[in-house]
Amino acid sequence: MFLVVFGDTYFYVESAHIFNVTANLMMVMPKRNDLEQKALHFVMNTGYNGVLQSELWRELGASSREGSRIAIKLEEKGLIRREKELEGGRWTYRLFPKRLPASIESIADCPCLLCQDNARCDPTTAISPKSCAKLTDWILSLNNEGSAALGEPDFAQGMDPR
Amino acid sequence: MEALLLIISVERNQGMLSTIDDATLMKVAAALGEEEAVTLIEYIKNADEITDDEIANKTGIRLNSVRKILYKLYDHSLVSLRRTRDPKTGWFIFHWKLQPDQLEGFILSQKRRVLEKLNVRLEYEKNHDFYYCNTPGCKRVPFEEAVELVFHCSTCGKPLVHCGNEKIVQKLSEKVDQLRKELGE
Repeated sequence: MFLVVFGDTYFYVESAHIFNVTANLMMVMPKRNDLEQKALHFVMNTGYNGVLQSELWRELGASSREGSRIAIKLEEKGLIRREKELEGGRWTYRLFPKRLPASIESIADCPCLLCQDNARCDPTTAISPKSCAKLTDWILSLNNEGSAALGEPDFAQGMDPR
Repeated sequence: MEALLLIISVERNQGMLSTIDDATLMKVAAALGEEEAVTLIEYIKNADEITDDEIANKTGIRLNSVRKILYKLYDHSLVSLRRTRDPKTGWFIFHWKLQPDQLEGFILSQKRRVLEKLNVRLEYEKNHDFYYCNTPGCKRVPFEEAVELVFHCSTCGKPLVHCGNEKIVQKLSEKVDQLRKELGE
């Protein structure tokens, strides 16, 4: 019997299981995890245009083999999408993020975020998003680049992994 | 059978691919409030568990502000809290810890909340005609209300004239679209 301590919980397991558990853990946390994380950030920052797989591994300083393995891994995890593309007479993949990084940018200066009256704010009451002057001011102060900012350098800047 | 103690300490962030980085964390801190919140988060993100006293001593922020910020963060589950009792005085000691994995959820829920409000506003703007007296500080009123007021501002008494809201509608629609896109709706 083995006593396994996992965070602050512990449990006993049969000896045969222990090897499975450690083997699984090693699979979950490979050394390459760091590189994977960097790759994910890199792909996410490319926004809707995606990035060529070859650009990815060059940027990461990895080999093409590592690059493609990481890309496959990320695809398996459902984090990116790969599309075949002919580049300079060679087949490669273009990588697209499935999810864009969560960024607070688009609502960071919205008055609703810190509004004291939030609990009382409702379309049917006196304090309402329909007539809120603070909200009107915010809407009028929005610049028209709003929807274009997605995937643009400005949007990506905040997500720089370095 | 032989008993063996195997300690596996799994660090929280390992194994999980996080999509949030420090810059975003700091922006959230800034959006949540004062400059002090940024300093505070900057400090506790590197610490494991920490008491409010320690934070106040190390960062130089006043203890009451530290607590105020921590409670605010706690409201949004961005920090976790453990309470112990001081064996001598019997007072409670609060141990705080940053929960960076909650950040994405926080951002998404805030975006949904803002989007809901903007949708309400957009509908309202689209379905109403507005009248305005052109006096700064006075309110715009929808047509129905303007009729009741016989087209005179209730505050300054000047005549109410039609006021186009195309600009608001356009900017509002853009923001709504952007938020929808970001939320993947």
